[in-house]
Amino acid sequence: MSTIIGIDIGGTFTDFVSYDTDTGHIENWKNLTTPAEPIVGVMEGLGKLDDLGVVSKARLGTTIATNALLTRRGAKVAYITTQGFRDVPFIQRGDRRSHYDITWIKTRPLVARADCHEVAERLTAKGAVHTPLDEEAVRELAARIRADGTIEAVAVCTLFSYIDPGHEQRIREILAEELPGMPISISYDVLPKWKEYDRASTTIADAYLKPVVSENFREMKARFAQAGIGSKVGVIKSNGGEATLAGAADAPVQITLSGPTGAVVATRIMSELTGIPNLVVFDMGGTSTDCSTVVAGKEHVTTSFEIEWGIPIQIPMIDIHTIGAGGGSIAWIDKGGMLRMGPQSAAAVPGPACYGRGGTDATVTDANVVLGRISPDNFLGGQMKLDAAAARAAVARVAEKLGMDVDECAFAMVQIANNNMLGALRAVLLQRGLDPRDFTLVASGGAGPVHICDLMEIAGIPQGLVPNYPGQFSAFGFIMTDARVDRHRTVQQISKYFDGERATRAMTELVEGAIDELKSQGYTQRIEIHRSIEARYMGQNHELELSFPADEFSEDNIADMWERFHREHEARFGFSIPGETIETVNLKVVAVAVSDKPEMRELPVTDAPPQPASRRKVHFADGWHEVPVYDRATFRQGDRIAGPAVVEESASVTILQPGQALGVDRIGNLIISA
Amino acid sequence: MDFVTMNILDSAMVSICREMGITLMKTSYSTIFNEALDFTCGLADMSGDMIAVADYCPAQIGGMPLLVKSCLKEIPIAELEEGDIILHNDPYRGGLHTPEHTFFKPIFVEGEVMGFAVAIGHIAEVGGMAPGGFCGEATEIFQEGLRIPPVKIVKRGVDNVEVWKLLLANVRTPRVNYGDLKALIAAVDLGERQMRGIYAKYGKEKIRETVADLLLYSERRMRAELEAIPDGIYSFHDFVESDGVDSDRHYRIQVEVHKKGGSIIVDYHGSSPQAAGPINATLGVATSAAYNAVLHMTDPTIPRNSGCFRPIEVMAPPGTIVNVDFPAPEVGGNTETHPRIVGTILGAMHSAVPNRVMAAEGATHCNFVFGGVDAETGEYFACYDLEGVGWGGRAFADGNDAVDSINGNCRITPVEVYETRFPWLIEGLAFNVDSCGAGEYRGGVGYTKQMLCVNREIICSQMTDRHVLPPWGLEGGLEGGCGATLVQKAGRDDWQTMRDAYGKPSTSRYSNVAIKEGDRVRLVMPGGGGYGNPLARDRAAVAHDLREGYISPEAAGKLYGYREV
Repeated sequence: MSTIIGIDIGGTFTDFVSYDTDTGHIENWKNLTTPAEPIVGVMEGLGKLDDLGVVSKARLGTTIATNALLTRRGAKVAYITTQGFRDVPFIQRGDRRSHYDITWIKTRPLVARADCHEVAERLTAKGAVHTPLDEEAVRELAARIRADGTIEAVAVCTLFSYIDPGHEQRIREILAEELPGMPISISYDVLPKWKEYDRASTTIADAYLKPVVSENFREMKARFAQAGIGSKVGVIKSNGGEATLAGAADAPVQITLSGPTGAVVATRIMSELTGIPNLVVFDMGGTSTDCSTVVAGKEHVTTSFEIEWGIPIQIPMIDIHTIGAGGGSIAWIDKGGMLRMGPQSAAAVPGPACYGRGGTDATVTDANVVLGRISPDNFLGGQMKLDAAAARAAVARVAEKLGMDVDECAFAMVQIANNNMLGALRAVLLQRGLDPRDFTLVASGGAGPVHICDLMEIAGIPQGLVPNYPGQFSAFGFIMTDARVDRHRTVQQISKYFDGERATRAMTELVEGAIDELKSQGYTQRIEIHRSIEARYMGQNHELELSFPADEFSEDNIADMWERFHREHEARFGFSIPGETIETVNLKVVAVAVSDKPEMRELPVTDAPPQPASRRKVHFADGWHEVPVYDRATFRQGDRIAGPAVVEESASVTILQPGQALGVDRIGNLIISA
Repeated sequence: MDFVTMNILDSAMVSICREMGITLMKTSYSTIFNEALDFTCGLADMSGDMIAVADYCPAQIGGMPLLVKSCLKEIPIAELEEGDIILHNDPYRGGLHTPEHTFFKPIFVEGEVMGFAVAIGHIAEVGGMAPGGFCGEATEIFQEGLRIPPVKIVKRGVDNVEVWKLLLANVRTPRVNYGDLKALIAAVDLGERQMRGIYAKYGKEKIRETVADLLLYSERRMRAELEAIPDGIYSFHDFVESDGVDSDRHYRIQVEVHKKGGSIIVDYHGSSPQAAGPINATLGVATSAAYNAVLHMTDPTIPRNSGCFRPIEVMAPPGTIVNVDFPAPEVGGNTETHPRIVGTILGAMHSAVPNRVMAAEGATHCNFVFGGVDAETGEYFACYDLEGVGWGGRAFADGNDAVDSINGNCRITPVEVYETRFPWLIEGLAFNVDSCGAGEYRGGVGYTKQMLCVNREIICSQMTDRHVLPPWGLEGGLEGGCGATLVQKAGRDDWQTMRDAYGKPSTSRYSNVAIKEGDRVRLVMPGGGGYGNPLARDRAAVAHDLREGYISPEAAGKLYGYREV
């Protein structure tokens, strides 16, 4: 018998999901997070298992890198670049966070200017050496860094190194000789793509994280080793894939956004299990909501992540749009008299008024309680009793200022909160050219199912899906994921003079590099390779991605590639320019070592219509309805119910609107249709 | 008011504007669009009032209402058909300057025009006497490129080929212009399509009503902000240096701000008569600048639409530098005079709203433009590009370093993109030490970009400012560092101004200088003025600036009275 475990370390709770590969049995539990030393809470939670010997794999979402970046507790980094360009990390992009905000303060980079150094060397835009590397200067610089004694890591980024990494690699060699043991990140390894500021920023972040992540992982590894599962622990990267602890420590910028990817991977798995190709997931927590998509069975990967506004980390990450709207979002009235929700949140402490922990502000959760959508007796499966009177009193205070009655006000609060989340859905759908009508909305997080039906309606999404254990959906994603390496490189060519051999050579290097990275971490089985190119009309500055299924570039598949580009441009932007020169910019490779996936247990087939456990009053757009309340645990495969209705489960509740219908699929997902 | 529908409609419309902008950014050809994001996307109602806009370029946002209204005077709504797209760029018909091209497409619902999807974008090459659209020595609008009155570039969904031919025959980079114009069309197409979806969902009546409420709401919030500012009459002035034609003359910008209750009047009487050279502002620019200044002094979260502008009135006497008469040149009015006006208004208001102003910022976009024939490909290239400046110090914080001046919000083109596109080799981007005006809160620093010409010849022009008159400080803060443009001819050691090297009247505004292979150009960007007495600056902050190399040991001692311990 063997068990796969997913561990998601959140702000308040660490979620655990275990899957027994023999019986198919899935179990969920939680432990309080121990923020000072998260491994303590993890080990406590693992203590629930009688025998860790059965663990064949444990995968962990970690916030170490995220926290180090957000709290600026990384290493003291020295930055080395081309003569003349040490101010690039400070000049940044030259724009500002928002218009008209005269109070804005430009974000500082992760290095001090006094620790930024230049060496004589320069490549041209075509990759020719304009100024050879001054190796002596590098050695002198190393001596200064050694004498300084405070530098904990070095980042190197020189101009045009994405074309020829020779100078950067040589700088690293010299530094390694002169400064043994010093962590070094070079931009060609971290992000071999053009645009020097973005590449520099990403490389600096990698160096900034190296010492802190290494140290943390060393401790973690020791604890896991003591428990006898040292070799079985993987960590989740920002691309949703798994890496070993050692692999992640070598390239820590890869785990910037580890935890939140779980829900997206889980959504992709749902796509495989249900055969629904296009899903959009919203993971609604107390203070924020994460949105992301799975299109044609694949998650969307982005390179436009920023730590703080203006400080990019451009390595490929699952594209997750986060907004400050959650169950704890607080109602307020602005100077023009408009009701607004959030982004201020009551968080877990003091929490919404209904938590009875001293919070008096009216939150989304309070409004849901007032409207009968959340039952005060069945919050977190009855573990926590809510104070309905306190919720009502809090909402009443807002209602009075607006001259509305309490129910009306609570309903307006929910609508505005929904509208904020709609903004996030629009950002991941319409703003990427995706049509909501082609999607199924997936609810994740305890609060997700409460709002899923509202959101389907206002976003024009025809179908909804509430998975089993929506509160632990993210940790569930971890047990289902694979090891994955994403590699990109800028190799610029134009269609007029496209050199297929050069492209093949570069692509082959990328593929080999990705496979090597997987193999060096011990992922040797079932490796799948996905190649793609990013191209544009010559002169444009943003690219369209085209998959490239072949091993080599041939005359035929190149011609086909240009054809596909014109078509894709037409489909995405409404026009194409036939005959125009096309420029290829980046080559991309994704290598996946496919792991064994748990099989979901099927529910028994229904033999009778489901019976409600009780009835209660719930407020909908047209006022109060007395509706049936079902217990999800009683559902069988093929059950169907019609809205308005409520489905309760241990840590969540689904509110079905009038006119909507809900069915139960083979593995217990609630499938909602408009 | 139905606040819920208003909230939903406002965010839906702003998100449509943002989607239009993303289309523009992803499909356009010029770096000024796709790197610098010098464009604006908005929605207007049938009277031309702006009802929603996405945050791209502020200079264009304030100008949008007048622009659309002016066009509708010439092409009345009755003459619009479904699928038409209007193009326009004429500064003397409500426009801002010739490079700014406005596209708008009527939104038809059941045969009736309900409003417009609008996109305004900076086209880098517009013909005229100098490649890149900024001829520092122009004396007539006709030298500043092709003027396009409102014309239908697309008629009932089909390209109006005659208009395209005429446009593309008059510019140096037809291939690039074609791509940029197509991108602007794709943006308004998207806006129009999405808005029709919104109309289908809510219905004409509900939207008309809600949009009217939305404008009223913005107006109400703007008035509430203005009411919080002490009533009074506030004045201030500043100068624009030279006009590229008459080198030693400075042009006065005078503002008198009358603030009473929930209204504000910006009166420009006393400003200089219009200049012979291209530093004049059109009424559209002067109005947009006043809006921009007021938006900076008020809550940035007020939904941006014509409602916020209702409490603001502008008085600009014709024939002056702030309301130029035809046919004077005016391309620099939009980039240089605009931020200077904003700074002057902020200066006037500093005693009234000390936490909502800053000392003078660099207030120039550099506007070093060039064109030529690429020796390798034989293709003509043209570039409009801009650089950042130092912000002024504030009552609560230092000025930001190296940021685009406040009438734009554009990005600096990366070196690796710049050199891939244009035959220059950039030799450095470095902060100018001591360019930050000293103060309790110092100004931001400017930087210097040094470039080596690697083409046989590149024809360069510029329209910048602050080579002579430094950015002023406030409340005892000192002046920030000036900018400069210097050239080092191949084989020489010395650096000369454009005046000395090429006999141009001005160092900061000139046209058609032929830079040869091996010549170097140095663009020095100004810093910002300081705020408050430098002696009152936190000692740790002085030590930090010294350690980090923002100020020299001399400046630390002399200006801040700082001695290292």
